[in-house]
Amino acid sequence: MTREQLNKALLILLLVICTIWLVIPFGMAILWSLVDPSEPWTADRLLPPAMSFWRWRDMWENSSLQVAMATSYTLAPLAALLSLALATPTAYALGRIAFPGRELAKLLCLLPLVVPGFVTAIFFTSLLFQLGLHTWRFGAILFAHAVLALPYAIRIMTVSFEQVRQDHIDAARDLGATPLARFRVAFLPALRPGIFATLLIVFIQSIEEFAIAFILGSPDVVTIPTLLFSALGQDYVRPNAAVLSLILVVPNVILMLILERLLKSANPTLASGKG
Amino acid sequence: MTAIRIQGLTKTFDGFTALSDIDLDVAPGEFVTLLGPSGCGKTTLLKVISGFLEPTEGKIFIEGSDVTAIPPERRDTALCFQSYALFPHLTVRQNLEFGLRQKKLPRSDRDERVKDVSQKLDLAAQMDKLPNQLSGGQQQRVSLGRALVMRPKVILFDEPLSNLDAKLRDQVRIEIRRIQRDYGLTAIYVTHDQSEALAMSDRVVLLNSGRIEQVDTPETLYHRPRTRFAADFIGNSNVFTGQVLGEDSPGRWNIETPAGIFTCALEDAPHGKEVALCWRPEHAVIGETGIEARVLNRAFQGHFTDLACAAGNGEFRVQALETTAREGDVIRIHVPPDRIRLLEDRP
Repeated sequence: MTREQLNKALLILLLVICTIWLVIPFGMAILWSLVDPSEPWTADRLLPPAMSFWRWRDMWENSSLQVAMATSYTLAPLAALLSLALATPTAYALGRIAFPGRELAKLLCLLPLVVPGFVTAIFFTSLLFQLGLHTWRFGAILFAHAVLALPYAIRIMTVSFEQVRQDHIDAARDLGATPLARFRVAFLPALRPGIFATLLIVFIQSIEEFAIAFILGSPDVVTIPTLLFSALGQDYVRPNAAVLSLILVVPNVILMLILERLLKSANPTLASGKG
Repeated sequence: MTAIRIQGLTKTFDGFTALSDIDLDVAPGEFVTLLGPSGCGKTTLLKVISGFLEPTEGKIFIEGSDVTAIPPERRDTALCFQSYALFPHLTVRQNLEFGLRQKKLPRSDRDERVKDVSQKLDLAAQMDKLPNQLSGGQQQRVSLGRALVMRPKVILFDEPLSNLDAKLRDQVRIEIRRIQRDYGLTAIYVTHDQSEALAMSDRVVLLNSGRIEQVDTPETLYHRPRTRFAADFIGNSNVFTGQVLGEDSPGRWNIETPAGIFTCALEDAPHGKEVALCWRPEHAVIGETGIEARVLNRAFQGHFTDLACAAGNGEFRVQALETTAREGDVIRIHVPPDRIRLLEDRP
């Protein structure tokens, strides 16, 4: 076997593994969500014996799914905006101002990511309780999601601010631009992909976050993950859990695709001259 | 009235002196080059003139009014960046218009100025393209155009040709000079390239570690360098330190150097006994008289031949248009007395 053939074989193997990796969980989730309650899907069958959208209808009508979706999809965009707003000044400082210890500060901003989510959640929520924020449960979750996504937001925005070219700022200034005009012509085009990436990543983080939403929210505020985890708990019904997990994952996949496109389309405009 | 007057300008960064005590007057319509090696302060000086840096001491006047405290956005200067600094998401037209929009000029005026400049710079066909669709030379012209539409009192260039290839550079050099003359602009041009400075400027300001070494026309700077630095930086020079032996005939002084005795034509008697003198390699005449020198190395350069020679305890270079001298040959060198300059700095 030549080297080229080997490469090709390995590439095909990799593609097959990746496909299986994606297809099997997804396929199983879809199939399980379609199992009709009239006949259970037993282990001796390859496909469910009876398929219908009954589970989907049932979950939609008879659980707190609608409320949970409304909460999650209000919470996530607000958390994304709040996190972006909180991260931007820090990112500006880390990306554009030279000060001693800057590299260390950048590293420290990423440090919270090494702590397991649940550990952070337990102690962060106790902090919020002490601050008295828990009286407005939705607000507390919103604040917590925005703060916990800060490492990502700061990191992405720092890199974006580093991409802004000083000569563009200077050129705009030299041509008489006001601070606002300078921001629009020199900063915004370079920051735009970073802003979108931040919004999307914080959005997805918030949509998927369970621990804090559960500790702070239950029993009043239900998000999709807390609903899903309860469906995985004492009253575990696999088809219902499949419906919920699909509802949780589909918007994220769509958002990831949008993000991918945005990042691709944004790059060429950054290059100019010697770059 | 002077277009630009710089008075006692000093700029320090955390104890490092980038510019010290700079005085310079630039006449209206004059093309002045700031020349020097990297780190000499030429870009710092340009940034101070454009307003991006505030001087530690001293004042800057443009057409008589003190602009020292005026920020770049309100200063009537336009800067051409080394990197061009074109806005990559704006078309050529939008780039050219940008400054005029900031000035809130009415649309008709804007269109007229942009049209005028785009024709002068041969950009009419590129108006709707993005900068990254243009060649380096075209981008350079857009950057020049963006400065020109502002009709500034002073136009500033920060090594605008350093990203172009050699052939294009000569062409753009001529173009920049033509446009500067057409618009009657006062120009300050930063470069580290001595041939660029000599070819383009009305006057050259030679800078060395934050100080002005010499300000003169290119011809004077080349033929009458005042310091060792000026002699070395502009073209090639043979610099020697020597002892004044005495006046040979009226106005002719004999000076003994490690390479031998040179006779120079001086108007005034030299100050002191120790002097530094220099002469250009192309002014030496190879012939029957003069200093005996051995050729160490011969390098054919096309329009001349470069000979590295040794005489006595000194070494020097000689450029001859045509020579048969080879390595190891002994030749005789004569330098005409009026081609030898005494330098002002102490040996």
